[in-house]
Amino acid sequence: MSDIDIHHLSAAYALDALDDRERMAFEAHYPSCEVCRTDVIDFRATITHLAHASSTSPPAGLKANVMVEIAQTRQLSPLLPEVVIDLAERRRRRLRWTGGALSVAAAAVAFVAGTAVVDRNDQPAYADALSTILQQDDARVVTLDASGGAVGSIKVAWSETIDEGVLLADGLPAAPSGHAYELWMIGDDGPVAMHLLDPAADGELRAVMPVDASPDAWGITIEPSAGSETPTGEVLYLAEA
Amino acid sequence: MGAVRLGRERAAARRALDHQADPTGDPLASLLRSAGRGDQAAFGEMYDELSPLVYGVVLKVVRDPSQSEEVAQEVFIELWRLAARYDPSRGSVRSWASTVAHRRAIDRVRSEQAARNRVERDATNVTREHDEVVAAVESNLDQVRVRRALGELSPLQREAVELAYFAGHTYREVAVLLDVAEGTVKTRIRDGMIRLRDELGGAA
Repeated sequence: MSDIDIHHLSAAYALDALDDRERMAFEAHYPSCEVCRTDVIDFRATITHLAHASSTSPPAGLKANVMVEIAQTRQLSPLLPEVVIDLAERRRRRLRWTGGALSVAAAAVAFVAGTAVVDRNDQPAYADALSTILQQDDARVVTLDASGGAVGSIKVAWSETIDEGVLLADGLPAAPSGHAYELWMIGDDGPVAMHLLDPAADGELRAVMPVDASPDAWGITIEPSAGSETPTGEVLYLAEA
Repeated sequence: MGAVRLGRERAAARRALDHQADPTGDPLASLLRSAGRGDQAAFGEMYDELSPLVYGVVLKVVRDPSQSEEVAQEVFIELWRLAARYDPSRGSVRSWASTVAHRRAIDRVRSEQAARNRVERDATNVTREHDEVVAAVESNLDQVRVRRALGELSPLQREAVELAYFAGHTYREVAVLLDVAEGTVKTRIRDGMIRLRDELGGAA
């Protein structure tokens, strides 16, 4: 990330004008940077004025649909104060050791609704891996497009320099009984099984995996829960690398 | 029936207490706190307050009304899911809601097709798009301040901010659209936002 002066990205970030890679890097940075954190809060407040200027009455039926949906939607628990302290302390420790390599987990305590909220247990492994990946010059981030009525958001970040990748899935529905999602890396040798996905009850999943070839594309299918050698299900999510 | 009414009364009393105890005095914050405990009626009130803001932001970015309705619905479900995690020290409820709404709208338009295609399509249409955005902003009677503040920006600052926020482009895409260097766009966006902040204030 040496080509980017990260402190100057707060306005573009608040406008959602960063690409995935820069956005993730900035989200790793700003919760622990007092200047950027204040900038983001201030710019977002300013942007709310712009947003307000485009206020439009929604279609009449929307509220009824929303009320039906929320009655069937489980809410996430509040973040507990000890988790917040825990992350802040861990971040300080990491800072001392690495002199600036920041954890994406910091975003968990930030005002970043709609992005990943990190659980206590899986925080260190994937967050460290992601942070390292994003610092590589060949870091890539792709968003897998959903097809066939599939919902949720799935991203893969990887670097061939360090042969490592991270999968980030949110809002993934449970797989049908006896089945699991499977991630495939499609390269010169065809699809290679990468990871079986078993999302948590709230649809979140973070996984670190080795990426030791050059992918042309990433795809996700539904397979029997033990996984398959080659994909048998319909491709639900796909991205070209 | 009796139990239902009692439950509602209890929820209303709880909200009244919350409101009293809320140091910021933001009535939306106390509604949101109730919603975070599963109070659907409180969420319904929040919906009434926030839906023009949320739908307006989504419509501005997504353009298509039926898709915008879908996205706005997703936004409210997201606000419901995350209600207990809202942190008032990070900004007002309106700021939170418009952030979630814009992010969702952006996700929709960016996943719809590769960003490069969008830039190619829009590159021939910059002027029209810009005019549309301006017209839409200006049609809102309540927003004289916003119009005036946008008028204080240099043309490049203004175009960069509007193409990023209302048209949902990344700053790299904006650079292609305006045919200027990426670094220039980054600087103009930042300078423009600082000026808007000075004009409009940081508190919303």
